[in-house]
Amino acid sequence: MSRLPPPPTSNTHWSRRSFMVASGAGIVAFSVSGVIAAIDPAVPGNVPAPATGPAFEPTQWFAIDSDGIVTVNIIRAEMGQHVGTALARILADELEADWSKVRIVHVDTAPKWGFMVTGGSWSVWQTFPLFSQAGAAGRIALIEAGAKLLGTTPERCSAKKGAVHTGSRSISFGDIAKSGAVARQFTAEELGKLPIKPVADRRLIGQPVPAFDIDAKTNGTALYGIDAKLPGMVYARPKLPPTRNGAKVSSVDDSKAKTVSGYQRYLVLDDPSDTVPGWVMVIADSYPAAIKAADLIDVRWTAGPGANVSEKMLLDHGAALVAKADGGVDLDVSDRPPAASFGAGAASTIDASYTTGTVLHFQLEPLNALAAEKNGVFEIHTGNQWQSLILPTLAKALGVAETKVVMRTYLLGGGFGRRLNGDYAVPAALAAKALGKPVKMILTREDDARFDSVRSPSVQRLRMAFDRGGGVTAMEHHACAGWPTLALAAAFLAKNKAGDKYDPFAIAGADHWYDVGHQRVRAIVNDMANETFRPGWLRSVGPGWTNWALESFIDEAAHHTKTDPVAFRLKLLTGAGRNAGSAPSAVGGALRQAEVVRRAAAMAGWGGKLPADTALGLATSFGQERDMPTWTACVARVHVDRKAGIVRVEKLSLAVDAGTIVDPDGALAQVQGSALWGLSIALHEGTEFADGQVKDTNLDSYMPLRMADVPDLDIGFVDSSEPPVGLGEPATTVVGPAIGNAIFRAIGVRLRHLPISPAQVLAGLPA
Amino acid sequence: MKRPWLIGGAAIVVIALLVLVGLGWRSAISPIATPAIARFAPAQIARGQILASAGYCAACHTVKGGGALAGGYAMATPFGTIYSTNITPDPDTGIGRWSLPAFSRAMREGVARDGSHLFPAFPYDHFAKLSDDDVAALYAFLMTRPAISAPAKPNTVPFPINIRLLQAGWKLLFFTPGRFVPDASKDASWNRGAYLVEGISHCGACHTPRGSLGAENKAKPLAGALIDHWIAPALTAANSAPVPWSEDELIAYLGTGVTRYHGVAAGPMGPVVHGLSKLPTTDLQAIATYIASINGAAGKRAAGASTIAQALATDKIGLGLQYDAAARLTTAACAPCHYNGGRQINPLRPDLALNSAVTMDDPRNLIRVILYGINAPDGIPGVVMPGFARGLNDADIARIAAYLRATRTTGPAWPDLEYRVAAIRAEGKGEQQ
Amino acid sequence: MTSFTVNGQAVTIAVDDDTPLLWVIRDIVGLTGTKFGCGIGMCGACTVHVGGRATRSCITPISAIKGASITTIEGLDPAGNHPLQQAWRTLQVPQCGYCQSGQIMQAAAMLTDFPAPTDTDIDAVMTGNLCRCMTYSRIREAIKQAAAAPVAKS
Ligand code: FES
Ligand code: FES
Repeated sequence: MSRLPPPPTSNTHWSRRSFMVASGAGIVAFSVSGVIAAIDPAVPGNVPAPATGPAFEPTQWFAIDSDGIVTVNIIRAEMGQHVGTALARILADELEADWSKVRIVHVDTAPKWGFMVTGGSWSVWQTFPLFSQAGAAGRIALIEAGAKLLGTTPERCSAKKGAVHTGSRSISFGDIAKSGAVARQFTAEELGKLPIKPVADRRLIGQPVPAFDIDAKTNGTALYGIDAKLPGMVYARPKLPPTRNGAKVSSVDDSKAKTVSGYQRYLVLDDPSDTVPGWVMVIADSYPAAIKAADLIDVRWTAGPGANVSEKMLLDHGAALVAKADGGVDLDVSDRPPAASFGAGAASTIDASYTTGTVLHFQLEPLNALAAEKNGVFEIHTGNQWQSLILPTLAKALGVAETKVVMRTYLLGGGFGRRLNGDYAVPAALAAKALGKPVKMILTREDDARFDSVRSPSVQRLRMAFDRGGGVTAMEHHACAGWPTLALAAAFLAKNKAGDKYDPFAIAGADHWYDVGHQRVRAIVNDMANETFRPGWLRSVGPGWTNWALESFIDEAAHHTKTDPVAFRLKLLTGAGRNAGSAPSAVGGALRQAEVVRRAAAMAGWGGKLPADTALGLATSFGQERDMPTWTACVARVHVDRKAGIVRVEKLSLAVDAGTIVDPDGALAQVQGSALWGLSIALHEGTEFADGQVKDTNLDSYMPLRMADVPDLDIGFVDSSEPPVGLGEPATTVVGPAIGNAIFRAIGVRLRHLPISPAQVLAGLPA
Repeated sequence: MKRPWLIGGAAIVVIALLVLVGLGWRSAISPIATPAIARFAPAQIARGQILASAGYCAACHTVKGGGALAGGYAMATPFGTIYSTNITPDPDTGIGRWSLPAFSRAMREGVARDGSHLFPAFPYDHFAKLSDDDVAALYAFLMTRPAISAPAKPNTVPFPINIRLLQAGWKLLFFTPGRFVPDASKDASWNRGAYLVEGISHCGACHTPRGSLGAENKAKPLAGALIDHWIAPALTAANSAPVPWSEDELIAYLGTGVTRYHGVAAGPMGPVVHGLSKLPTTDLQAIATYIASINGAAGKRAAGASTIAQALATDKIGLGLQYDAAARLTTAACAPCHYNGGRQINPLRPDLALNSAVTMDDPRNLIRVILYGINAPDGIPGVVMPGFARGLNDADIARIAAYLRATRTTGPAWPDLEYRVAAIRAEGKGEQQ
Repeated sequence: MTSFTVNGQAVTIAVDDDTPLLWVIRDIVGLTGTKFGCGIGMCGACTVHVGGRATRSCITPISAIKGASITTIEGLDPAGNHPLQQAWRTLQVPQCGYCQSGQIMQAAAMLTDFPAPTDTDIDAVMTGNLCRCMTYSRIREAIKQAAAAPVAKS
């Protein structure tokens, strides 16, 4: 059975919801492999306590034991979003559980759990209906059984704080479970029909609740992939080939490595899945020995494609593709027939190009994986965001059936999209197979950077046409970048009505909610990028570049029409036509975006007086996906030092409408983190390709945001009972353009490349 | 603790001639039965122990992983490697069969019991100044240490320099025997300090520049020298430390390995302070009195206060939002341990603006300490400065050094920094660091 | 052979002199709360105390710590209740948590030098500790909360 949901059929606009359908469709009885224990981040050592006495398990998503302990099964990876707590809370609320008795368990990849992915800020959005229903099912069953035990009818009973009550009498969930009186099971169909309680009755959702994983993360007991251990394991560090794709080993000389005590041998990997072509694994008794030995081993390769590629070549190639009239894929975005012409019909037009540079994930825990074969089953111990994507690849690499590979997901020392791509599990698995013993592979930071699935450089061209009154009549957005989904999960490419495939993640954001008349959005793959490296999904993915261009350009348009940038946006956010929004998650549409724009402007004191060379700039976003919008607006207050070109961000004010906020503190943390990511990518970090490799591989030259760079943050959420949507990414995409727009308003210099550097600022100023 | 013995080719001719005259011949002194420990008075042993600390004998006569005072420590010289000898009372491999006169001759004249000449790596030119009582006390101390069997390692000094007799010629040229002569115009503490500094503590062995034949340049005593890949700074008025080395600073430094205004004893000075820290306060005070009298600290005191204020002000440079890669790198790498926030300097957070590694004309010491750090047994006991050798490349370290120099001092920029870092990296860490 | 103490326990380890303390702590002593982030002393994930001073263990060779006393996150407070750990929990500082052992160890050492740190002090001393999840504002707040806590700081 393939774990991938069927690729989207023709003529359907690909939707993130296909993930949700898949994730809910997996309620199939399947005996747990038993090979791998689950992980409970709230417990020291992370091994969950065994259940006491008979347990009640109405669905596979949770169980209640005789002590009343509710154990919720979490299929999402914990990478800082406290996802287990957020999801358990949804279930516990509906179940009317006693929160102090709720535990979470991160499960392995047994097929019964269905499609396993953690990314795109989908977790809460996808799980909310599923876990609400699971909780409701439990509550109904417990009330039925409790009523029987209490000698009354279900109608006379209610559930609250982990017990069923009738009048002044009650019986706890634990006692009901212990009695064995309840054995009800629900099918997926039944679950789907269960009523969910009204918003007013929620007890846990929206309340501040400490996350389960915090304790272990403050006392050193939290277990990450890098902490995984198996008896008899050896350590491995790879020697990375000169190119990501197509490299072949021509010779290996390890004579110098033999002087390293603890060095065992090297392995030239033979990878049927072609995930890690040209890899040589250096095996040693200890990791420091593996590091040293790998430095001393001399490997010669025949390089694959892209060995000479530079950042400039990538950007020039992108620019050439954008300039070509043909090529690329048009999205089905416009309500209206294509614009006749940008020339004759328009009173005026503007036209601008934007670029962004290469960005590393630089998640703090370098990639690692521990692999071992036990009784014919390969166990992969690692932190991973998209187990269902890499399992078939692992099976292919190892030459075994997919059922013979199980992954145990540890805490992730940062994901940010890097661990959606599980390519790093493959070399560990191949080495374990070749050696017949457990292999723990860790990448050094430098290895990790070189092996990163970086955020591709991008080139975009935007045009807008205006009528005589300054009204927008047409807009075009052409975006060219490496396509991560093409490189990593081609089955998930989207198709337009004409049947042309494109990477929805690489263009998302360009299909905005502004009313611009005739609209054209064209997605173009930078084939040189895809050939040279494996473009990655990096926190927010496409909007990381599309929104830089779009929101800078909207400000340019406002300036062109001599309109205030806030007023200009509000004028275009009409909520008409395709921008009206629709159920379930996009109700309200562009009007909700207009609201966050107004709020952010008000929070920041838009229109007030500021010191010289200081200004506010605004940018907004709907997140990544039109049917799961997270309405976000950001105002940056920026001071520019005209002499040095230094841009100091003094304050960021953000307004966010993410529907229901399940976990207020967690939501705030996610927006804080993602806003600062946006700032880091805008001003501090970024690298370049040189000779087919990224130039900056460690913190001596790659310089992400640090403590001293943090500005004041003011973050507000819109109160809402709409379905909850993702929070992990949208703020990432608004900070850069807000800064760019503020710089323009402060000193009149328009910047069109990310990251922003003092040199660009100075170049824009009159000498 | 290694010393370069530079013996030029031309000198060899001269020396050979002298040898021909037979001046260098010394006889062996008869071996004795190893004296019993009980023969030595406890008070004498205790006194010897202090002297051994003052002379930090263990620093050169103990190899890492080997027994205390059992020798084997390698001293790299331009002419090969010299290994220190076993000075435990082991009869076969140590000095167990040495009589006091034999020991005394070695200390005073650089001649071993068997009559062979010692290399001047052994600073007998300083030890010659010791009093008879002190030599006897040292002897008592050494003869009561645990005997360890550790055969001498063969030196790798090539022919003809390895001819021990040649050393006699060197002595004729450069060695003036003679006891310490007190200066009647100075007080007792000063004279005690001078006795220790010139004698047992042999400060000049490192801090006095040497001539081409490896002898201390008597015209420039304690004027600073290159030693073991480090610069031993001038102990005279030529010292570059922004805050003058007052007596208090000297006492703190020698007694604890660190001072508020000068930082931490690093490199070859690390083991030295470990010895000196065991001295009685009066002896530390005496050394401080003597050194302070030759470095002119007294006259510079006022300058110190404004320098400190100035240094504290520079402490905040590089904080906050920084685009400059050098500033970001330096702040992230150094500020966590060295920043004092413009307040009183915490000696455990050595201030970089006041550190002579930053203020010296030569960046060598700064580069070495960034590359290789400071070990727990050196400097502040039990505390480490990690070394950035593996992590940062030559350009990174050059960038940090240049940034510190530019923001923390008024000195001229150091030239060719990246090249210097590469060269110093190539020298390696050195055995004892 | 190098002898030292870890969280008060004496250990003697026979590994190559240049073996980084980090890997000795993680893989030989078996305490994995100390993390590997960059390996070059620039992220702080590997911060432990050597003689009470915050030290990057990834660039500290085992030969350098002879006789020293090492404290790791596991030994900072036997019950995990150091005022900083309490503040960290109250303010829900960690996201992925990977940097947080190092952050807490660095902050704990800082509080001995700066019992009432200002924002500038925190910026300066904590700037060597990268948090890729960017929990910086909470770290700053938690340090201040712990500094203000009535409990004696270790
Ligand atoms: S791992 Fe040691 S500082 Fe980054
Ligand atoms: S919490 Fe993830 S790196 Fe700091």
